[in-house]
Amino acid sequence: MSRRYLFSPLILLLLLSVFCMVTAITQGSVQLSLGQIFDVLQGQGTSLNQILVWELRVPRILAAFATGGLLAVAGALMQILLRNPLADPYVLGISGGASVAALLAILAGVTGILLSSAAFLGAALSTILVFGLAQGNGRPSPMRLLLTGVVVASGWGAFITLMLALAPPQKIPGMLFWLMGDLSYAHSPWLAWATLLPVCLVLIPLGRSLNVLARGPLQAAALGLNVKQLERFVFVIASLLTAVAVTTAGSIGFVGLVVPHILRLILGNDQRLILPACALAGGCLVTLADTVARTVIAPEQLPVGVITALLGVPTFLFLLRRGRVA
Amino acid sequence: MTTDKQTCFLQLCLGVLAIVMSQSMWAQTDVVRCVEDDKLRQVCVEQAAQRIAALSPGATELIYAAGAGDQVVAVVSYSDYPPEAKQVTSVGSHTRLDLERLVSLKPDLVLAWRTGNPSEQIATLERIGMRVYYVEPHNFDDIADNIVDMAVLAGTEETGKKVALEFLKGIEGLAHTYKNADPVSTFYQVWDEPLMSMNHAHYISKVVELCGGVNVFADSPRLIPRLNQEAILIKNPEAIIAGGMGERNAHWLDKWRAFPELKATQQNNLFFVPPSLIQRPTPRLLEGAKVMCEKLETARQHRG
Repeated sequence: MSRRYLFSPLILLLLLSVFCMVTAITQGSVQLSLGQIFDVLQGQGTSLNQILVWELRVPRILAAFATGGLLAVAGALMQILLRNPLADPYVLGISGGASVAALLAILAGVTGILLSSAAFLGAALSTILVFGLAQGNGRPSPMRLLLTGVVVASGWGAFITLMLALAPPQKIPGMLFWLMGDLSYAHSPWLAWATLLPVCLVLIPLGRSLNVLARGPLQAAALGLNVKQLERFVFVIASLLTAVAVTTAGSIGFVGLVVPHILRLILGNDQRLILPACALAGGCLVTLADTVARTVIAPEQLPVGVITALLGVPTFLFLLRRGRVA
Repeated sequence: MTTDKQTCFLQLCLGVLAIVMSQSMWAQTDVVRCVEDDKLRQVCVEQAAQRIAALSPGATELIYAAGAGDQVVAVVSYSDYPPEAKQVTSVGSHTRLDLERLVSLKPDLVLAWRTGNPSEQIATLERIGMRVYYVEPHNFDDIADNIVDMAVLAGTEETGKKVALEFLKGIEGLAHTYKNADPVSTFYQVWDEPLMSMNHAHYISKVVELCGGVNVFADSPRLIPRLNQEAILIKNPEAIIAGGMGERNAHWLDKWRAFPELKATQQNNLFFVPPSLIQRPTPRLLEGAKVMCEKLETARQHRG
C-alpha cells in the first residue's frame, strides 16, 4: 500500500516530464513538424534540422530540466536543513559566491569552461566559508547557519553591485546574464545530469532519516539519529546541487523556493516522495518556462527566470488558498 | 595636443595607403578571399558571401555601407539604419540571440560584435561551422578597415573601398581644417543619470580632438567614467555636448543652465549632437563629426 502511495505520483510526474521534454523539442522559433523531428531523431532529415534539434534544442532542454531538478531538490533540502519555509538554494550565499567568481572571471576576460569552473569554485568557497563561520564555538545550529549564510549572501551582493558599477560597459550584458539566470548560455547539460542522478539515488534511502530530521533535531536525536552528521551531509549535498545549477545556467530564481512547497501542498510532507518529485517537477517547470521564454515573443528571447516566476506564482498562490479553505 | 593631431593625421594617411595597397594586392589573389577581423583572426571565404547576418546595429550599418545590403539576411533589434535594414528578418536582441532563427536563415557569413554579443552563443555558431567575422571598431581607421574587409568578403570591394576612402578623406578634411584651431575644452555627456563621459581611447573623444576640442576627461582611467556634477564644475569646460539615446535629450542641457558660473553656460555653449550620428562607429560618424566641429567652431565665435 505504502509503496503504491509513493510510486503513483512519481510515475505521473515521470510521464509529465516526458511530455514536457517532447513539447519542448517540438517548439521553437523555427517551426518543425512532429514528422520532421521524428526523422531527425532517427538520424535522418536535412542537416539544418539536425543542427536545430541536436545542437540547439536538445542540449538546452536537457540543461533546463536538470537545472530545474537540481534547484528544486536543493531548495527542499535547504528547507529541511534550516527548518525554515523561506529557505531557497540561494539563501546561504552559494549563488552569490558563484556570481562573484563568475563576474571576476568575466572581468578577467575568461569564457567557456573556465568561466563555469570559476563559478563552481566560487560556490564551493562560499559554502566552506559559511560552514566554517557557522561552526564558531563548536555548536552549529540551523539558526546560526541561516544567519551566517544570509549575511555572507549580502556581502556577495555588495561585491556584485560594486563590480557592476566598476565594470567596463561592454562587459555588463554578459554579467547580467549570469545574475539573471539564462539557459541560452547553457551549452553542456552533462555536469548537471551527472550530479542530479546520483544525488537522487543517494537521497532516496535517506528519506526516512530526513523525515525525522524535518520534525526537529531533538526528536531526531531522541530517535537515535546522528543529527550533526546528517545535517552536514544535507548541507554539502544541497550546496553541491546549487553550485552545479548556478554553474550551468546562472542564478535562476524562484524554482528552488516554490516547487518544494507546491509539492508539499499536493503530496504531503514525506521526503521519500518529495525529493524525487522535486527533481521531476522542478525539471518540468524550468523546461516549460524556458520553452515559453525562447518562443513567446521570438525572435526576442526572455530570461527563463521571468517565466518560472510568472508560471509559478499564480500556481502557488492558488494551491495555497485552496489548501487553506480545505 | 599638436602631436596628437599630427599622429591622427599620420594614421589617416597610413589608412588610405593601406587601402590602396590592399586594392592592388587584391587583384592578384582571386581564388580565396581572406581578411583579418578585429579579433586578429584570418577570415576566408571561397566565394563572396551571399547570406550575411549582422549581429549589431553598427555591423548592419557597416555592411550596408560596404555595398552588400542586398546580401543581408539577418539583423538584430534596433538595426534602424539604413531604413531598408528594418525590413530584414530580426534574430532577437544583440545580447540574447535567437540562434534557431539565425541558423535557419543559413547565413554564410556572421558579423559578430566582439564585446556586445554573448561569447557563448557566438562559440556555438562557430562550433556548428558558421564563418564569423568579429567587428569592433575603435577609431576612424578601424571603421574604414571594417568596411573594406566586409566588402572583400561580400564581393562588393569596389563600393566598399570607395565608401571607406570617402569616409577617411572626409575625416582627413576635418583634421586639416581644424589643425590649427584654438583648443576648446569640451565635456561630452554620454549619459545623464548616472552622468557619464569617455576617456581618450574612445572614438567620440577622437572626434572631439579632430575638431580641435580638448576632452576634459581624456585622462580618466576608465573608458566610460561615471561622474558627478562636481567633477564637471571643477573642470569648467568651455563647451558641453549632450549625446544620449534617441534624438530628444536636449533637456539634459537645461541642468547645466542652473550653474551660471560654468564657462559653457556663461558663453551659451550648451550643444546637442544627434547621438545616432556619433554614438555608433559607422560611416555616419563623419556627419556627426561635422556637426560636432560646427558646434565647437560656434563656441570659438562666442568668445568675447
